[in-house]
Amino acid sequence: MSGIEVFLTDFLKLTFLSMVPFILAAQGTMLGGRTGVFNVAQEGIMLTGASVGFLVGYLSGNVLFGVICAMLVGGLFGLILAYFTTTLKMDQFVVGLALFFMGLGLSSLLPKIALGVTLTPPLIPTLPDISIPLLSKIPFIGPILFNQNILVYISVILSVALWYTLFRTNLGLRLRSVGENPKTADSLGISVNQYRYLTSIIGGMLIGLAGAYLPMVYTGTFTDLMVKGRGWIAIALTFFGGWSPIPIMFGALFFAGVEVLSFRMQVGGGIFPYQFLIMLPYIATIIVMVFTFGKAKVPGFLGQNYDRERRSL
Amino acid sequence: MTQIKKFLPYFIAILAAFLAAGIFIAALGFNPFKAYETIFSTSFRTPNGFIQTLIKWVPLTLLALAFTVPLSSGKFNIGAEGQMIVGGIGSAAVGIIFADLPPALLIPLIILAGILAGSLWGLISAWLLYQFNINEILTTVLLNFVSFSLIDYVCTGPWRDPAAGHPTTIPIGENGFLPMLIDQPPLNIGVLLALVATVGVYLYTNKTTAGYELVVTGANPRASKVHGINIRQMFLFSMVIGAALAGLSGAIEVSGTHNRLIEGMHSNFPTLGLIIGLIARGKNQAVPFVAFFIAILEVGASAMQRTLLIPVQVVLIMEALILIFILLSDLIRRRQK
Repeated sequence: MSGIEVFLTDFLKLTFLSMVPFILAAQGTMLGGRTGVFNVAQEGIMLTGASVGFLVGYLSGNVLFGVICAMLVGGLFGLILAYFTTTLKMDQFVVGLALFFMGLGLSSLLPKIALGVTLTPPLIPTLPDISIPLLSKIPFIGPILFNQNILVYISVILSVALWYTLFRTNLGLRLRSVGENPKTADSLGISVNQYRYLTSIIGGMLIGLAGAYLPMVYTGTFTDLMVKGRGWIAIALTFFGGWSPIPIMFGALFFAGVEVLSFRMQVGGGIFPYQFLIMLPYIATIIVMVFTFGKAKVPGFLGQNYDRERRSL
Repeated sequence: MTQIKKFLPYFIAILAAFLAAGIFIAALGFNPFKAYETIFSTSFRTPNGFIQTLIKWVPLTLLALAFTVPLSSGKFNIGAEGQMIVGGIGSAAVGIIFADLPPALLIPLIILAGILAGSLWGLISAWLLYQFNINEILTTVLLNFVSFSLIDYVCTGPWRDPAAGHPTTIPIGENGFLPMLIDQPPLNIGVLLALVATVGVYLYTNKTTAGYELVVTGANPRASKVHGINIRQMFLFSMVIGAALAGLSGAIEVSGTHNRLIEGMHSNFPTLGLIIGLIARGKNQAVPFVAFFIAILEVGASAMQRTLLIPVQVVLIMEALILIFILLSDLIRRRQK
């Protein structure tokens, strides 16, 4: 293989690897938003997911158990968000921010309680690559697409499954109607609250899983603030993808590509001071928003609570 | 009697938060009574403790106002962190480049540079909101991450202090140091600047027509628009004022507290600023009081970690609990009406 081909293979493989947390967190955001619950606590939920996933995985010696616990904690955050906004009808942004702080504090407190102060960070084994028989033997494409860890495959399957559920089933139609016009949905006998709780909890679980991915694939350990804004970028990605599963999946590829590029160029050295390369993903996100935000299709009732006793919407 | 009735839910909310946090501390295997005793007495036992509390109060108040002033018009500025950092960079740049100017000129210049740099940083998000209607929460947060790299670049670049172990710039010119109010324990006039800013914000939002338009925009954007208020301009304007206040806090940290730019000097102040703003329920006039209360908690928390070995993060959980219980008490009051 020539040098450029090695570089390209490496770059694309890493891009597919790095798209996972973006996909999971953005699909979680999308799912809640489709019924009108706008979660803005991603960064905090991902941090807690990373912290819990790592700690449980390390202490129990079972990474899968860590993954499950991270998802449960994420689901708990989703439940709290749903309760405060749907049942108590409190401002979604305010509750979301409060949950963000909770996650921020919790994620850094838990390791200190569970492990104490350690000089060398304890490590968990990172997820192994799974090669798919035959497909992974295809030249060039094989090692990029079919020799990845299990969550890469799962995130793609999940995106397609979400698309199918939302746009090809009755359940999806009802779910979307809650986010577009809850009053109409309610008058048709659809339980607005039930759908909002359901999507908020599942969304939280996906976001928690997105957080757990970081220690389980990238670092093998938890460090404070390790999510580094990916949670916020996931919100931008959700708008970028027009709150639709398949465009979100491809959008994640773009954001992951920028992240890998920024990282590669830092390692490679070069004319730019490395600090300006670290900025790249954030600036790219802002630029992307300039071009897509105005046109983005957004669920009609995004971020608004529904009170069936109120006369006007 | 009505006053008591008004404050009772808050009081109960704070009490409930301390109760919950106390159970949490006990569950961790520490003595909650000892923890609370340390937290509340540290600020008042010694003059130094009180001065420390005042020093923390300055950035906390300014950063909380950086959040609540835009919130008055209904916009969420989560970017006080970046605005403070960039403000600090602006102050440090002026303080280093013009180090030889006389104090009467240099000090106002440094403060102004901080305010201006912070405002410009906030203007990016404000303009993106004004021009393209891009969600301000996202742009302000993303610019925070950009500012982290920016301060790292400045602190490790040509102005780097090679003697410091941590990314830090060389000190600004001595003529640019903020004058002292009290020499021992040291307290600079930053506390007065914050006080002026607080009163200024209060007078502006509560006593002027322009400020009234701002508040009305937040209360009911549609009605405001119908009555001829340019609400998009109000959004832009309130975000820039908020950013200016954050920039001022950066300037005070550089010219007063540290006399140089230090990476990480913003500490957890910006996060606390948001929490303070939310606990104050976005009311500008309540911010300085809530900020003082949180400053007491923070100073007490570090003492608690030193003497009782209770992790300082416990206090962040406590603050989040206070916030949630206050929000809940709001709800109860709404139901009673």
